[in-house]
Amino acid sequence: MAATQKRATVIGGGSWGTALAHLMATAGIDVRLWMRSEERVAEINEQHTNTRYLKDKPIHEGVVATSDLALAAKHAGTLVVAIPSRAFREVAFELGEHVTGDQILLSATKGFEAEHLTRMSQVLREETCVRKVGAISGPNLADEVMAGQPSATVVASPFDEVIAAGAEVLANPTLRVYGNHDVVGVEIFGALKNIIAIAAGACAGLGLGANSLSMLLTRALAEISRFSEALGADRMTALGLAGIGDLIATCSSPLSRNNTLGRRLAAGLSLDEALAEMVKVAEGVNTTYAVCMHAERLGVDMPIARGVHRVLFGGEKVETVIGSLMSRANRFEHSERPIDAPERITGSVIETALAVTAGGRDAGA
Amino acid sequence: MRNELRDAAIVEVRSRIVDACLKQARLPEGMPLDVLINDTLYHEKQRLERDRQSPTRDEDLAFWEGVRSRLGKAGESEQKEILVRVVERFTEEVRGNFTPWVYDMATRFIPRALPALLNAVSPKRLFSRGLPNIAETIAIDGDVDALRRANERGTVILAPTHASNMDSPVIGWALFAMGLPPFTYGAGLNLFTNPVMSFFMRNLGAYRVDRRKTAPLYKDILKEYAAVSLELGQPNLFFPGGTRSRNGQIEEHLKLGLLSCGLRAYVNNLQKRKERPNIYVVTCSINYQLVLEAESLVGDYLRSEGKSRYIMTDDESSKPRKMLQFVQNLINLESRITVKVGDVFDPFGNHVDEAGLSVDSHGRHIDIRKYVTDGEGRPFHMPQRDRVFTRECGDSVAESFKRHNQVLSTNVVAFTAFELLKKRHPELDLYRMLRTGDEGTGLEMRKLTDATAVVVKALQDLARDGEISLDGKSIGNGDAATIVQSALRHFGTYHAHPVLARRGDRAFTEDAQLLYYYSNRLRGYGLERTLRASYGEAA
Repeated sequence: MAATQKRATVIGGGSWGTALAHLMATAGIDVRLWMRSEERVAEINEQHTNTRYLKDKPIHEGVVATSDLALAAKHAGTLVVAIPSRAFREVAFELGEHVTGDQILLSATKGFEAEHLTRMSQVLREETCVRKVGAISGPNLADEVMAGQPSATVVASPFDEVIAAGAEVLANPTLRVYGNHDVVGVEIFGALKNIIAIAAGACAGLGLGANSLSMLLTRALAEISRFSEALGADRMTALGLAGIGDLIATCSSPLSRNNTLGRRLAAGLSLDEALAEMVKVAEGVNTTYAVCMHAERLGVDMPIARGVHRVLFGGEKVETVIGSLMSRANRFEHSERPIDAPERITGSVIETALAVTAGGRDAGA
Repeated sequence: MRNELRDAAIVEVRSRIVDACLKQARLPEGMPLDVLINDTLYHEKQRLERDRQSPTRDEDLAFWEGVRSRLGKAGESEQKEILVRVVERFTEEVRGNFTPWVYDMATRFIPRALPALLNAVSPKRLFSRGLPNIAETIAIDGDVDALRRANERGTVILAPTHASNMDSPVIGWALFAMGLPPFTYGAGLNLFTNPVMSFFMRNLGAYRVDRRKTAPLYKDILKEYAAVSLELGQPNLFFPGGTRSRNGQIEEHLKLGLLSCGLRAYVNNLQKRKERPNIYVVTCSINYQLVLEAESLVGDYLRSEGKSRYIMTDDESSKPRKMLQFVQNLINLESRITVKVGDVFDPFGNHVDEAGLSVDSHGRHIDIRKYVTDGEGRPFHMPQRDRVFTRECGDSVAESFKRHNQVLSTNVVAFTAFELLKKRHPELDLYRMLRTGDEGTGLEMRKLTDATAVVVKALQDLARDGEISLDGKSIGNGDAATIVQSALRHFGTYHAHPVLARRGDRAFTEDAQLLYYYSNRLRGYGLERTLRASYGEAA
């Protein structure tokens, strides 16, 4: 046995948590996978499957599952937390009893807490004494990662140390790791792309083609960028793996949960009906609700998110919403100014007056 | 700082800086010694080009000319010698010229000198009211015990808000009144040239900082001096805002350079296995009913922010007038100054409990050594990591500033009046509004009082949640009419133009810039929204 075998712990035995643990074990890392259910712990340790989330896909035998959080926390210096956003804080608080300041916590969950738009890495900081926190995000569909297809992920943290530790446990021949200091942008994109995934699923459900999908993705990128910049993110993150990269993957693959939800909504099911058939959590639902609320507060215009909101919570038909989005005023691509509105002139009364005359708007005035 | 201690600090700083220079020069990415010296020479030449008033200009020019001519043909050992000379010169300046008897006298003299200067410059006042009581002028508030405890358990970095040049003497007195020793403090050279200020600077144990010196080597020396003094157990005073707040707002963006010294000193203490390795950052707010140099501060702010949009209508006040203003202010400073001790943090920005231990948001103890130790428990420096920690500590400090901002009547009324003016001119940008003011029509007193009541109510709610602090004396029971009265009285006494003056049933804005300046202390609390919502109800 190697004297210094690398160690890692994954908190959360859903599909992404299990896939991450599997990936690490494949790379020879001594990994613990924590989950609450004793039953599934037994299943993973004995049958090496996680049928609830990953059907009959075999899980690497090196993955040792446990329901003992203290044991899992003490096992490794680097912990990856992959818990659905709704239960995230509770588990983080429990984890706070067992971790120490030299450990590193990485959130692999995409989503945030609705009330204050709290990002998952913030929750880790708030609930534990650990300061070296970060987030993992990017185009990483669990099933494809499990299948060992080549892919890439982003580890974001203000600390180089955290990025290095993340790369150490995640990088392997089928997964490249990129670092980014813009945690805000990476996490916001990771959460907001779920909204767009629902929209993309709905488009697919209606049989719309590449043009429509491409329009959706590009304009979605613009509105998410506006939103994340208002929260202090770096504009460049939109162009990276956690931005456009994740958007393309989530929206073009029928494997994603939000995509599935969108397709069901397009088929005419209500939100409750569509969700009832799904085992896995579609994070996009909570996200849509929260984002629309905060976009208004921040003064950011997010027409696509609002459209998804109308379908999810307003019971409107997908076709109706697409119709109203398409009939919005035509705009300049980056400044958001409607094409038929005159440029706002400041500093010259003559130019302001002339612009009004040119627009033929002074007739009545 | 006592002379023996200061000499020890200077020796230590010199050896650390020289060692670091030599060490980095050996690295492939490092700066060779001759390049490093040349770079420093370049920065100094540039400075001397700009700074023609410096009293030591000729000396400096000669020194650097000497460096230049020697450097050309210097071999490795001579380069090292030149470096040592340069470092010695910089550290000698930092040290300044202190004498023990001044120090001793100061500690006894400050409590009497300061009230005399604050209150009794006018002989008339001295005769009519007798000796002033400083405790009535400067109120000390907040968790003073926490500061004392921190000072006993470890080494304190006191981090106050920075609004005025009066801050240093005010803090100096406050420390004395709290029974604490004078703190080491890096004061700008300009403060040493003003004879009044210079007196206080020395008494504070200040070392000299020349902000015009831009050479990276010089800045390294200043930071290392602060770190070394902390390691020697000498409490320090840093203004994390860097310079005085120009627009009157509580600092949000902090200068982290000096704050980072705390973490560096802590790691060094751990490495040396010091008995009391802990460094505590204690925040504190200094709040003025009237600010000594408000006019020039806000003028400077508008000039630099507005660029061409701001048009100066008045020349910078000439020197005698400035002195007059200064004296005038001292006389009038019967107005409130409050010093509120805020929170105690570790160098990572975690809260510290009564026992001096760091706690997480749930009050659970944190072993903070683990933030900076390797797998074997050995503490080590890592600049990238430490920068992030310092930034996060800065976030904690900024947030603490906001919570311990102690609101005085002048802030409340200026804020309310300014918002009322904004409501009247929603279409104007700030610069136009400042020039338009109230167009000479003034604000109805009744409206001003009603709106003030709304703001005070909102402030009381915020204060209950611990998000801001209210000055008991000048805000009192929260009666809006009394608060407006108190503010108008103060606004009328000191500034060249009364900020806001009452005539009949109206209050007139005589200086919109100052109104803006005093109102800014209440920005960032969402009070604008509350006030706007109240207009809706009224309509």
